[in-house]
This record gives sequence, C-alpha cells and structure tokens, in this order.
Amino acid sequence: MNFRAFKTVFFKEVLENARDKRTVMSSIVMGALFGPILMVIIMNTTINMQQDKAEQKLEVPVINQAGADHLLQFLRSQDVTILDFSDDPKKAINDKDHDVVLTISENFSERFEQGLPAKVKMYHDASAKGAAKVSVQRLRSLLNAYERSISVQRLQLRGVSPGLTNVIMIEEHDQATKESRGAMLLTVLPYFLIMGLFMGSMYLAIDTTAGEKERKSLEPLFLNPVKRDTVLAGKLAATVAFGLLTLVLTLVAFKLTLPWYPFEKLGMRFNMGMPVMLIMLLVLSPLALLAGAIQTIIAAFAQSYREAQTYVGLVLIVPMIPSMLLMFMPIKEQLWMMSIPILGQNLVINNLMRGDAVAWDAIGLAIAGTLIVGLALAWIAVKLYNREKMLFAD
Amino acid sequence: MISVQNISKSFGKVTAVDNVSLEAPDGKITALLGANGAGKTTSMRMIYALIKPEGGQVVVDGINTHEDPVAARARMGVLPDARGLYKRLTARENIVYFGRLQGMPEATIKDRCEELVERLGMGSFIDRKTDGFSQGQRVKVAIARALIHDPQNILLDEPTNGLDVMSTRAIRRFLKEQKALGKCILFSSHVMQEVSAVCDEITIIDGGQIVASGSEMQLRDKTGCENLEDAFVSLVGGEKLA
Repeated sequence: MNFRAFKTVFFKEVLENARDKRTVMSSIVMGALFGPILMVIIMNTTINMQQDKAEQKLEVPVINQAGADHLLQFLRSQDVTILDFSDDPKKAINDKDHDVVLTISENFSERFEQGLPAKVKMYHDASAKGAAKVSVQRLRSLLNAYERSISVQRLQLRGVSPGLTNVIMIEEHDQATKESRGAMLLTVLPYFLIMGLFMGSMYLAIDTTAGEKERKSLEPLFLNPVKRDTVLAGKLAATVAFGLLTLVLTLVAFKLTLPWYPFEKLGMRFNMGMPVMLIMLLVLSPLALLAGAIQTIIAAFAQSYREAQTYVGLVLIVPMIPSMLLMFMPIKEQLWMMSIPILGQNLVINNLMRGDAVAWDAIGLAIAGTLIVGLALAWIAVKLYNREKMLFAD
Repeated sequence: MISVQNISKSFGKVTAVDNVSLEAPDGKITALLGANGAGKTTSMRMIYALIKPEGGQVVVDGINTHEDPVAARARMGVLPDARGLYKRLTARENIVYFGRLQGMPEATIKDRCEELVERLGMGSFIDRKTDGFSQGQRVKVAIARALIHDPQNILLDEPTNGLDVMSTRAIRRFLKEQKALGKCILFSSHVMQEVSAVCDEITIIDGGQIVASGSEMQLRDKTGCENLEDAFVSLVGGEKLA
C-alpha cells in the first residue's frame, strides 16, 4: 500500500471535517456529553423521589374505619396519617390519586373478637414504579408487624410459647456488594460509551463517502494514480479516529461527572479508577473499527447525504441490543460470549464496574473477536469502491 | 499521446458508446465533439481509466490503461465533468492534496502551485476556502488541481461550460501554451465556437459512434458547408428535432 497517499487522505479528511462545526458538535457534544449528563439527571431525580417518599409521612385512605379502632390506633402510633375515604378505591389507584387504599371488611371487629382471621383489602398497583412502590411496602410491613404482635399476645394468653409458630427463621444475607448495587444502575453505561463511539464516527462515514459522491468530488479523486483501496483505507482511518476520539471524551466525561452521582445516598461504591478506564478503552477501541466500517458500507449504498443519514442513523439501534438483553434477562456468562462484538464489551465493562476481577483471557477474547469482525467489514468497505456503480450519484 | 481503439460501453440495454476509436497526438489539441448525450462523458471516463471498456483498449504513452491504470493515470491530467472541489478547504489546499496523491515531493508541489497560480491568474483567491467561488474560479482551481503534476496528456470534459468570456479566454490561452510545450490535449465539448477556436483535430461522436474526424477544414470540405456548425449538423444526420 502507498503509505504516503494513505496518510494524505487521512489528514485531509481529519482537517476538512474538523473545520465542519456540525461534525464536531455532533460527535463531541452529543456523543460524549449526552450520556453522562443524562445519567446524572436520571439517577438523581429517581433517588430523590424515592427518598422523599420514604421519609415522608405515610398517608393511607381507609374505607369503613368503624370496626378497626385498634388497628388504626397502631398505624397512627407508627406515624401514619389515616384519611377518611369513601370513593371507589379502584378508581383512586387507577387515577394515581393515592398509592395505596385500605378497606376494612364489614365483619372485621366481630371476627377479630372471635379470634378468626379478619379481612382487610389493600388496593394498589403492583406495576407502579419507584415512589408508589415504597408506600405499598411500608404499609404492608406495618400490617405484618401488627398481625405478629396480636398473634403473640393471643398465644401467650393461652399459655403457648410464641416461638412454637416460628417454624423457620429466615436470616437474609444480601450478597450484593456496594459496587454491584452501583453496577445495577449503571448497566446502561456501556451502552452510552458504545453509542458515543458510533455517533462520533457517523458523520465522517457519511461525509467521506456519500457526501463526496453528492459533491461529485469522488470522480476527480479517483483519477489520481492511487489505488481506490488506499484512498478508502485513508478515509476509513479518519472515520475510526473520530470514533476513538469521541470514546475517549465520553470516558473522560463520565469520570468528571462521577462526583454528581448520588452514590453515598445509595450506600454504594463505583469502581472507575485509572486502570479500569484504561481497560475499558482497550476493550472498546476495536469497536471503533467495526462501527466505522459498518457505517461506511451502509453510506456507500446511499445516493445522497440525507439518504445516508437516515440509514446510518438506524445503525445506532444495534449497540442497544446487548445492553437491553442484559438489563432484562440475567444471562449466565460464558467465555465464548466475550467474542461477540458489543456483547463482549458489555459483559467486561459490567464486571469491571461491579468490582469483579476480569480475567485477561476474557478481555483478550473481547478484543480479538471484535477486531476480526471489524477487519472483515473494513475489507468489504474498501473493496466496495472497486465497483463502478459506487462512483456516480447519477 | 493517446490512442483509443474500438472501445464500447453499455448500461443495461442502452449502448452508450459503440466501437469508438481516436488518436490524440502530442503537440495538438484534439476535440471530441458531440451533442448532449452523444457518449462524450462515457468515452472520456473510459479513456481516463475510471470505468472499464467492454471491448477494445486505451493506450496512453504506450501504457495500456486497463492493465496498469495507476501508471496510466500518472501520465494524465484530467478535468472531469464533475469539478468537485472541497468547499471546506482553500484553493491551495485542494491543489496540494492532489499533488501529494500524485506522489510529488513537497518542494515541487509548492513551486508548481506558484506557477499555476500565475498562469491561471488565481492570485486573488488562492488562499480562500472554495465555498462560494464563481464558476470561473472553480474551473481554474479544478484545472490547476488536475495539472499539478505537469502531465504529458491533458484531458478536459467540457472545460469552458458555463464560463464568462474572460475566463473562457484565460483557459484557451492556457491550453495553447500547453500545446506549444508539446503536450497532448484531448477535450470534449458540444460548443462549436469553442472547438473552432482552439482545436486542431476534431472527432465527431453521435449516438455513441464516431461519424467523422479530421481538421475543421477537412470536415467543411467533406460536407460542403460554410462553417463547423453546419458541417456538424449535416454529419450527425440533419436536424432531428425539426
């Protein structure tokens, strides 16, 4: 390969696109800052909302209060505000007027006095998120506590040891480490890193191929005594360089925004020291080649800049797939999974953040797997331009 | 010296160029004259080795363009139909970019660039970004870019298309200087005055085929017409539109 021509094309594309403010804005500002800032905002607001709810006085609307003075007394003593309520409880939940509504059954006091199970109904929405969930949990645990205290009293009155009814004693040992609690919330971090990288190379992939075709400068360019492969390799290298630059900036942006994450409030730690960042960079770098090559291939088939933007924009969905999978279904990791591009990066980064040691063979496999696929795609992208059809927009 | 032997090209069922042959000797300006859609641009693209002919061959200074396109392109300077300057680069950066791709040493690129700036009168805009350039300025930069490596063979596709009188004359003068230096110049055009004013040899193409070739005088004698325009119309088979 003619190395000087490769270098010439590379530096020309870098210079030309660095002068294009739109490219710089989209790759640096959007790609690198969008993810970290969005994460800070989302995490802070959700945590503040949950905490507010947990510290707030619990308000419970109660229907048919007459028969359950003792129970309500207990709830009030636990700092619960009891509200008079006579509307439809289903509607109140559906309209989100209340998080939870309690209904005391008609024969509550009768059955209570006879020592039979007395019924209360709890209306709530199990699919509700965040703050509403907290209210339901708090009421349920209060009701359980009341039930336990009464049953203990009843048994003692009859001379039975309350311990007799405790068949099993559960002692919970939560194995989540402080890091793993943080990582659960940060499963989206790899997605933002990978998306930043895709966004960073997107405009160059389009500008150097479909853009050049639209401006009709591809024909004069290919009239130079340089193989088309070499010209395309130079363009692809510039595209990959912008992807890498955005990746580095995204990592730095995450590092700089770390102080704004509510880690202490959650009682969790998050591992993002220099060595972890360097391994992330190492594992993600080959993805820049893969992203640039896919985007170049797709842009090559478009006739205009706008058309290419539409197609290449759709590719941004690809890095979402493994992140989504990992978020909703816990996969048991196998070593071979590391070799699948994007999935491998997700797994390695998740483990790193959880504070687990990641074996070098997993890291090596993630790098090698992505690099091989990336090189194959780059080869296709470069060879594509040997086809005459690719040269003209008309 | 460019020698084209029996080249053809079709796109799908349409035959764009059919068995075209022509010779463009050194020290002469040869024209490929034809109406719009006659096959000029496709022929030119095959001659400068951008697309492959389906049959026949093109030989530039003894090099078969199909066998060694890279070496052949180094012998040619081409102003294609699409000028395609880079808008975010200055005129000089555009020219230097191509000089480097031609493999020229930096010092030579610099000297040659200065020479072309002077010859084509680009001093007032050479260091401005090409965005917003006039047609004339664009063509001048595109020509300088194409000829940065001082090639023996100069190919131009409709070089004065859309230019005003002053720019047209500047380009004509430049081409005549190049001819005096012994360069081989081949240019395609549909403008009769243009061809009449600068060309020594004329090849007329119509419907993808060569219908006549010779000097302007020979073509006029052959058809018994007073001027090139009438001779051209008579050779391509009359006024089809009428």
